[in-house]
Amino acid sequence: MAGFLERITERWKVYREPGFFKKLDHKWTMVIDLDKCNGCGACVLACYAENNLPVVGKDECAMSRAFSWLRIERYIDGEYPDVKVKFIPVMCQHCSKAPCETGCPVYATYHNQDGLNVQVYNRCVGTFTCATYCPYDVRRFNWRSYKFEQPLDHQLNPDVTVREMGVMEKCTFCIQRIRAAKDKAKDEGRTVQDGEVLPACVQSCPTGAMIFGDLLDPNSKAAKLAKSPRRYRLLEELNADPSVIYLKRVMKEGPSKHG
Amino acid sequence: MKRRDFLKILGVGGVGTGLGYFFGKASKPPAAELIPYLIPPVDVIPGVANWYPSLCTQCSAGCGIHVRVMEGRAKKIEGNPLHPINKGKLCARGQASLQVLYNPDRIKKPLKRRGDRGKGDFEEITWEEGLSLLSKNLTALSEKGETEKLYFVSSQTRGSLNSIINNFMASYGSPNYMQYELIQNKNLLFANHVSMGLNNIPHYDIANTKYLLSFGADFGTTWLSPVNYSFAYGQMRQGEDGIRGKFVQIEPRLSLTGANADEWVPAKPGTEGVLALAIAYAIVEDGYYKGSDAASWKALLSEYSPKDAAVVTEIAEGRIREIAKEFGQTRPSLAIGGENLARYENGMSGIVAVNILNHLAGNIGIRGGVIPNSNGSRTIDFKNNINALATAASASKVKTLLVYNTNPVFTTPKAMKTEESLRNIPFIASFSSFMDETTAMADLILPAHTSLEDWGDDFADPSVGHPVVTIMQPAVSPFFNTVGIGDIILSLAKGIGGKVKDKMQWNDFSDYLKDAWKANYSKDKDMLASALTFDEFWNQLLARGGWWPADQAKVKSVAVSPKGIEAHIAKASSRFEGDEKGFPLYLTTYAHSSYLDGRGANLPWLQEIPDPMTSVVWGNWIELNPKTASNMGIKEGDTVSVESPFGKINAHVYLYPGIRPDTVSMPIGQGHSTYGRYAKGRGSNPIDILPFKEDPNTGELALNVTRVKISRVISSEKMVKIEGSTKELGRNIVQTISPDEFNKMNKEVS
Repeated sequence: MAGFLERITERWKVYREPGFFKKLDHKWTMVIDLDKCNGCGACVLACYAENNLPVVGKDECAMSRAFSWLRIERYIDGEYPDVKVKFIPVMCQHCSKAPCETGCPVYATYHNQDGLNVQVYNRCVGTFTCATYCPYDVRRFNWRSYKFEQPLDHQLNPDVTVREMGVMEKCTFCIQRIRAAKDKAKDEGRTVQDGEVLPACVQSCPTGAMIFGDLLDPNSKAAKLAKSPRRYRLLEELNADPSVIYLKRVMKEGPSKHG
Repeated sequence: MKRRDFLKILGVGGVGTGLGYFFGKASKPPAAELIPYLIPPVDVIPGVANWYPSLCTQCSAGCGIHVRVMEGRAKKIEGNPLHPINKGKLCARGQASLQVLYNPDRIKKPLKRRGDRGKGDFEEITWEEGLSLLSKNLTALSEKGETEKLYFVSSQTRGSLNSIINNFMASYGSPNYMQYELIQNKNLLFANHVSMGLNNIPHYDIANTKYLLSFGADFGTTWLSPVNYSFAYGQMRQGEDGIRGKFVQIEPRLSLTGANADEWVPAKPGTEGVLALAIAYAIVEDGYYKGSDAASWKALLSEYSPKDAAVVTEIAEGRIREIAKEFGQTRPSLAIGGENLARYENGMSGIVAVNILNHLAGNIGIRGGVIPNSNGSRTIDFKNNINALATAASASKVKTLLVYNTNPVFTTPKAMKTEESLRNIPFIASFSSFMDETTAMADLILPAHTSLEDWGDDFADPSVGHPVVTIMQPAVSPFFNTVGIGDIILSLAKGIGGKVKDKMQWNDFSDYLKDAWKANYSKDKDMLASALTFDEFWNQLLARGGWWPADQAKVKSVAVSPKGIEAHIAKASSRFEGDEKGFPLYLTTYAHSSYLDGRGANLPWLQEIPDPMTSVVWGNWIELNPKTASNMGIKEGDTVSVESPFGKINAHVYLYPGIRPDTVSMPIGQGHSTYGRYAKGRGSNPIDILPFKEDPNTGELALNVTRVKISRVISSEKMVKIEGSTKELGRNIVQTISPDEFNKMNKEVS
C-alpha cells in the first residue's frame, strides 16, 4: 500500500514543477508562403468538406453568415493598368495570447496543451463575446440550426460534431486529425512525426503554399520555415502572438511595367 | 386450477404473445438493414476509414484521388499522393465531386418522357423497360438499314470507356460517335500538330522554367491540368534551387492566374497572336535566335515588326522588345497559350505563334520548356464535331441520339440553334445523372453511375513527360437505382442481338476493363516486370490508383519549321462581331474556376465558396473597369443588360480595375434553366449571346468573338459578395518584399 502511494506521489510530482501548466506538448503552427499562394480556393472547399460546414445559401450569405472557417482575402491596389492583386488565406490564427479567450464567460474557448485555441461547443452559450474580441474576424456563429439536405448529409464527417443553433465555432487546425495522429503515435510508442498531421486545407493546397508542423520540433519543416527572413504575422502590432506565420509575397514596389 | 382453465389461459396468452410479436415486427425497421458484425465485411469497421484510389472526372486533367469511405459512405476526396499529375493535391472542383454522388437532384431511376419534349415531364420506369425501349428502337433502326443515323455524343472520354463506345458504334454500324464539351483544347491540339507534329498535348514544364510568358492561360484554375500547373507554379516561385522564376501574363482581363504575375500586359483583345509574332520578330531581329534559318524566319515574320504591332496591340514597342530580350535570354523560358488566346476566331493561329516563340527561344525539348509526351497519340476527329451533329439533325439525318455526360444545349450559342435541331431528332436517350438542359430534351433517360460508383480508366493528356494511366474503381456501392455507362452499353448490345451481341460478349464493364488491361500487361515489358501474374499486377494497379513508370522518360526534341506553318500564321488580329459604334465594348468570356463549363453549378459547395477574385457567391456578374462604369453612371451591384447583335442577357456589375476599359468579361457556368435546385435560374449564360463562329480547321467554338453594349436595367435580384473593400486601408495585411531584396536575402541565407 505504501509503495502504491509513493508511486502516485512520484508520478504527480511533474504537476508540481513550476511552469508545468504553461508547458506545451506541441506548438502547432502553420506557415503560409504568400509567394506560392495563387488564391485558387481549394483550401476553402477542403475545410467545408472536412469540418461539416453548412451551406447557408444566398440570402444568409448576404447577411455575412457564410460559414467559411478559412477565407481567401484578396486585395486589389492601383488603377488600370498598374493593378496589383494580393491574396491571403486567413483562418483562426490560434493566438498564444488570444483576445477571445479572455472574454468568454463560460470558458468555452481556452488554450490546450497543444498550443491550440479550442472551442468547446457544449459549453458555449452564444454570448458572441469572443467574436467581438477577435481581431481577425474568423469566428462563425450558428444563427440557426442549418440543415444538410438529404442525401448530402451522407457525406458528413463522423469525426466532427455537427453544430446547432447558438454555438460559436471556428477553425480548429483540424483537431480531429491531430488527435488521430497523436493516438496512433501513442499506440506505436513514439512521438508524432513531422508531416504526419495535415489539416484538410494544407493537404489540399495545390501550390504547396501551406506548411503545418510543430514549432517545438526544431527539425520540422514548419519550424525551419518559420525562421525565414520573409516571416511576418498578421496584425502583429496587436500582440496576440498568432501561431500562423506568413511569408511575405515577393512583389515589385511602385508601379509595375505595362504597355 | 382445473386443467381446462390452465389450457384456456395458455391459449389466450399464446395468441397474445403471437399478436404482440406481429405488432412488434410491424413497428420495427426491417432487420435486413442491420449489419451483421459477427462476421463483418472486410471493409466495414465502424469508425475506421478506408481510402480507395480512383480517378477524378470533374475536368479532363485526369487527377488521381483517394476517396475516404466509412461504413459504405464516401466522406472526403483527397489527391492521391503517389499520382504524378496532382501529387496528392486537389482543386475545389475535384473535392466537391462528393456532392455529385450525394446530390439531392440526381436522377434516381430510369425515366420516360410523358409530356411534350423539353417540358421536363417524365414518368419513372424500370431498367428492363428502359433498356428494352432503347434496344427496340436501335433494332428497328438497323432493320431499316439506317444504322448510320444513330449518333452518340459524349464528353471527352479516354481509355476503356472510349474504346467500348467505339466498339459498340462500330459493331452497330454507325461512324457517328463524337466527343463534345465546351473546353476540349482542339485548337491547341491542332496547332501543336501542324507546328510540331505532335498528336497529344506536350508537358509544359512550368516548375523548372525561369521565365514564364503566358498568353491568357488561366493555368491555376481551369487550363488543361490546373492542379499539376499550380504545384509547378509553387515550385517555380519558391523551388528548391532558390531562383525565383519570373511570370508575365498577357491578356485583356486579369485572370486569377494573371493576378499572380509579376507583370501584366493588357494587349487589346484579339491581338495577342500579333503580339506573339512581334515578340518573335524582335527575338530574331535582335539576335537572340541562333539558328541557321534566321533569315527565313525574318522574312516570314516581316509583317510583324514591333513598331507596327505596337499600334495594333496598344503595347509600346520598347515593351515588346524588352519582353523579347528577357524571353530570349533567360534560360530556360517558356511561352504558353491558354484558352483566352485559343478562343478567338483565329485562336488556332495564336497558339501557332506561341509555338514559334518557344522554338525561337530554344525551349522545345528542354527541362523547363515544352517537353513532348511520348505516350500514345490521341486521334481527334476535328470534322466530327457538335456542329456536324446539329447540321445532320436539322437535315433529319439523325434518327436516334445517345447523349452521355455532355450538355451541348447549354454550351453552344443560341445562334447555333442546337436546341431546335435536337427537336428534329425522333428519339433522344440520355445517360446523364442530372436533369441538364440537354437531358431535359430526351425521350428516355437511363441514369448512369457517377464516377465514385463506376469502373473506368484514363490516359492523362497532357501527361508529365511519361505516360500516366489512372484507374477508376467504385469507392461506394451505387447509391440510387443507376447502372454504369459501360454496363448500359453492354446491355444494349445484348438487347439488339445479332452481330452487335456477338462482338460484345463481356459480362460487364469491369470484365471489359480487366481484359483491356490484360492486353496492356502482356504487351508492356515494364508492366510484365512489375508483377509475376496479371492478378497480382491488377491488385497493385488498384492499390496504387494507376500505372506510371518510376523514372522519367528521355526528353526528345522537335523543331518548328517556318515552311510548314506559313499557312497557319494569322495575317491580322481577330475579328469581333458588331460595329464599334453600336456595340462599344469587347466581350470576353472565361470558364469559371468553380463551375467550369457549367457542370459545377449544381453543387452547393461550389456555389457557396466565394469566387476567389470577386468573392461573389450564388450568381454571376459582368466585370467592368471602374472608369468605363463611371462614364456610364453605373455603380457596382447594378444590374445591366448585356446586348450583342445576337442576343441580350442581364448581369450584375462588378467593378474590376484589372480589365481594359474597352473590354467587359463574364464567367461561364451560371444561367441554367434546369439542372437542379442549386443551379436553376441563377445568373445568366454569356454563351447565349455569342455568334456561332467555329475555327474552320478544328471546329472549336470561338468564345471571345463579339462586341456588346450595356445599359442599366432595374432588377430586384441582388449580387452577393462575401468580401467588402478591396483595399488594405493601411493595415499592411499582405506584406511584400521586392525581388531585389529577395535575391539579396537568398544569397545571405545560402
